[in-house]
Amino acid sequence: MRSFHPSYILEVLIQLLPFLWVTVAMVIGTVFFGGAVGILLAAAKVRKGRITRLLANIYIYITRCIPSVIMLFIVYYGLPELLLGFGIDINHVGKGFFVITTFSILFAANMAEVFRSAYEAVDKGQKEAAASIGMTSWQTFYRILLPQCTVVALPNFANALVNLMKEGSLAYTIGLIDIMGKGQLLIGMNHGSYALETYLALTILYWVLTFVVEKSFGVLEKHLSKGKKALSQA
Amino acid sequence: MLEIKNIYKAFGNNEVLKGVSLKVEKGDVVVILGPSGSGKTTLLRSIDFLEKADAGEIIFDDIHAEFARISKKTISQIRKKTAFVFQNYNLFHNKTALQNVTEGLIIARKLPKEKAIEIGKRALDKVGLSERYDYYPSQLSGGQQQRVGIARAIAVNPDIILFDEPTSALDPELIGEVLGVMKELAKEGTTMIVVTHEMHFAQDVANRVVFMDGGRVVEEGTPDEMFSRPKEERTRQFLRRILPDFDYVI
Ligand SMILES: Nc1ncnc2c1ncn2[C@@H]1O[C@H](COP(=O)(O)OP(=O)(O)OP(=O)(O)O)[C@@H](O)[C@H]1O
Ligand SMILES: [Mg+2]
Repeated sequence: MRSFHPSYILEVLIQLLPFLWVTVAMVIGTVFFGGAVGILLAAAKVRKGRITRLLANIYIYITRCIPSVIMLFIVYYGLPELLLGFGIDINHVGKGFFVITTFSILFAANMAEVFRSAYEAVDKGQKEAAASIGMTSWQTFYRILLPQCTVVALPNFANALVNLMKEGSLAYTIGLIDIMGKGQLLIGMNHGSYALETYLALTILYWVLTFVVEKSFGVLEKHLSKGKKALSQA
Repeated sequence: MLEIKNIYKAFGNNEVLKGVSLKVEKGDVVVILGPSGSGKTTLLRSIDFLEKADAGEIIFDDIHAEFARISKKTISQIRKKTAFVFQNYNLFHNKTALQNVTEGLIIARKLPKEKAIEIGKRALDKVGLSERYDYYPSQLSGGQQQRVGIARAIAVNPDIILFDEPTSALDPELIGEVLGVMKELAKEGTTMIVVTHEMHFAQDVANRVVFMDGGRVVEEGTPDEMFSRPKEERTRQFLRRILPDFDYVI
């Protein structure tokens, strides 16, 4: 067995850095699309319509039972077939599309629960008070309920984001070259040597990403929960 | 000014309001008394459409509507004329005292911000909170929070204010400051309907007292009539229970 070369970690890091944007773009794309679908699912769950609620629950139930890596292959091999049936050819679409689609599908189900529980955590009296001073339900939503449930949702959202980032490393299995994909390539090129150094370099990158996410959300939470913070001091 | 005719409301098959009628003239202070579960809160909430009544009519100045098929537009018209003070304050947690008061002015009534702030500060001054404009609800005592609740209600200049047990969530030593503000409002001619268990407030401030039991109005009259010579046995029972030294003329 080859000896361990800590200095190679730095070398790998430098080679991985140019691919960091792929990882970040994957996360941002997923948060955007998955978040939007998640809001719709959460809305379907808290509103009165029975059929929409049932559909949302079915969606969440099904997607929650599928491991990400399996979902990734189903989307990667299945979606082109499905769309071909409608005469749409997506065989030349980049791998990033499949990755973002896959993780959006999964992330949406998580977000639906995060948003729903945050919404339900806001006291019903807030809505009534707003109604009593003549605010419409839309005004009440964006002026009163949304700011309050954002604060409630933030920690769970940050958690989901970190999980997404880590699960996202599975995208290399369909050949996406993000930091993980590039790491795998490097190991392949070195015929399996320096594997440990490469994985340690990846660990450092994911650690930094997680650190940045958690710190920024910590700051954001502090900033948004002005009213709440005072409560703990009182 | 405001008249409720024959209002009915059931939760499932629990009939809570069984044909209550109530008439309020401008400047009236109507106190509603009654045992727990008699439907007082439900009546007040139905008037503000926080609860959807099953049947009955509401007449508010020139607005005349049936509860069962009232339009959103009418609801919003009537809500513009009313304000509600809640038992547990229901201040907006994410807003300061002043923002709580100005929110309805700026967002619902589209007043210019400077104007709203001016009105909001005046309302807070009136309830004795000129030092607390920028405090969040969580930084205020219960009595102060409820006074912000009252300031929020008077700021929108309503024709009538509905109070649902405004002091019952307060520690005894904080009740006085809230009742004091309400007394002041009454003196200025504010029209209000007050659900309360504060008998002194009913005796001193109300000009009409309504006694409810089992979803019906059992009896109503002036404080003097109601506290000195109630006609109905159920009223007497209630008053005897709540006022240990209750002593009516037979
Ligand atoms: N949202 C609701 N769902 C089901 N039942 C309700 C609801 N609100 C009130 N009730 C029932 O309606 C009845 C009257 O309640 P209400 O709150 O109007 O009484 P109240 O006179 O205000 O009593 P209290 O003095 O205890 O506040 C009670 O039996 C109560 O259980
Ligand atoms: Mg009540």
